[in-house]
Amino acid sequence: MPVLVACFKWVVDEAYIRRTSAGELDLSSVSYKISDYDRNALEEAARMKEASGGSVLAVTVGVPESTKGVKDALSRGADQAFFIADPSFGMLGASETAAILAEVIRTRIGNFDLVLCGEGSSDLYNQQVGIRLAERLGIPCLSFVQKLELEEGRVVAERRLEDGIERVSAPLPAVVTVLPDINIPRIPGVKDTLSASRKPVVTIGKDDLAVAPDAHFRTISLAASRLDRQCERFGADETDIRRFIGALRQKGVLR
Amino acid sequence: MAGIWIFAEKTEQALELLQAGQLLLAAGMGGELIAVTWPGGPRPEDLGAAGAAEVLLLPPLADHQPLESYGPSILEEARKVQPNLLLFSSTARGKDLASRIAEGLNAGLCSGCNALHWNSESGTLEMERLLYGGAAVQRIAPFTFPVLATVPPGTFRRGTGNPDREATIRHLPAPPVSPVSVLEHKPKERKGQDVMAAKIVVCAGRGFEKPEDLAFARNLADTLGGALACTRPLSEEMHWLPEDLCIGLSGIQVKPDLYIGIGVSGQVQHLTGIRGAKIVCAINRDEQAPIFAAADLGIVGDLYAVLPRLLQALNETAAP
Repeated sequence: MPVLVACFKWVVDEAYIRRTSAGELDLSSVSYKISDYDRNALEEAARMKEASGGSVLAVTVGVPESTKGVKDALSRGADQAFFIADPSFGMLGASETAAILAEVIRTRIGNFDLVLCGEGSSDLYNQQVGIRLAERLGIPCLSFVQKLELEEGRVVAERRLEDGIERVSAPLPAVVTVLPDINIPRIPGVKDTLSASRKPVVTIGKDDLAVAPDAHFRTISLAASRLDRQCERFGADETDIRRFIGALRQKGVLR
Repeated sequence: MAGIWIFAEKTEQALELLQAGQLLLAAGMGGELIAVTWPGGPRPEDLGAAGAAEVLLLPPLADHQPLESYGPSILEEARKVQPNLLLFSSTARGKDLASRIAEGLNAGLCSGCNALHWNSESGTLEMERLLYGGAAVQRIAPFTFPVLATVPPGTFRRGTGNPDREATIRHLPAPPVSPVSVLEHKPKERKGQDVMAAKIVVCAGRGFEKPEDLAFARNLADTLGGALACTRPLSEEMHWLPEDLCIGLSGIQVKPDLYIGIGVSGQVQHLTGIRGAKIVCAINRDEQAPIFAAADLGIVGDLYAVLPRLLQALNETAAP
């Protein structure tokens, strides 16, 4: 019976980020979510378990407020969660996150078959954690996977690359990072949410960890991105559409 | 000073990275420009002509080994030489290799780096990237060197090469056999115009009700001599168009002269994919759609009414 580990991150929902008139980031009205592609990782793990048995362990590193995300992950089919929490874990770099995940997976889980990660988080989108994690654990990594199967002692995956699809195979245990098109994540129902609150959560603090990874970068500045566009509006009637075409020709982008 | 290394799958990507590297060296970063390649990768003579002083040439891979198997060979050499900066073109394989090597070097990796600046006064390498799906721009600096960056193809201009320039070639040892094996490679079918290279991109969004209605968008693209692309829901959820036509942070980033989004709401991840467009146009019936704030010209109207009128007007007023 495979032991499947799904890593996820509780992140700011970028759809609610605003820009102040001074060009600063306005995070005052944001809500939070499980990072988009991590939902695909959780979903894929849950489907594998539903198909062939085993168990799904969800693991996250974050600030203590991420506890909502832990419950969300458990309502998406995970059996148990490992929640590594500290107020200082809000803006960890990819190498720090990978180091912490690796220690917890190695020391608290130990025997596992497959670790599933999203290809990148929707806040920082470093696309590094899964690959760095595999290096730390000293096991193979299959990245950018759109299709996944477990065979006897091996994982077979389709990677989507710029020049085509690469079907690869690696011995277990291994790490995979999944693309959004691997599945459509479920929307948890009331029953799932209720059963989630009865599932075990192992909470791990900063002091329980042996690693204390250092950041590799300092931030010089962080600002809202600017999109300087003219924002000229046209109606849908024929006169306006002709004006629209005229404007494009004038700008030299249309013959 | 140990200089700047570059690695790219394609020659044009390598030329971009070499140009970016040359600018940093000219700004006083110090060291030489070194390109890593392999049989089947960018050719050493092209890399030399484009400014690489040295080419580190990997031996051919054993059968069924993925490109990422080269990781340990590159890492070993980087450990010895300690380059200041390693630039990778951010293709899937490039991102994978860069992450492995960064972890092996215990180094930082700036993913999706879209600007590099050497501050010679403070000796700081300033790197820029997008956060929150493109809603924010972050400027970072590494605490230590070496540092790595993955650079999206098309970020930097390619330099003009000098065919008389030649790089010295040094051979790297073969990597150990990777436990990952390639079972099959299905090359991508090339259909229609290349969206990445198109001067005009017509992008279909969620506003289309049925897959057959995409004919309107395709028709407009053909009329304008442009390429058809789509937003994530159309490729990922509806599977109406292939994934490689999906524009956005996690899809392709385009830099056409003209982008026309039809029935596109304008989520921040999608807008990130069209930041480089010269002129952005939007057609959407919802005047509150975020795309209008990110568009130069917007038509507020139902796409099913607007597109036939637009096509007719284009045909009537076409230059002879």
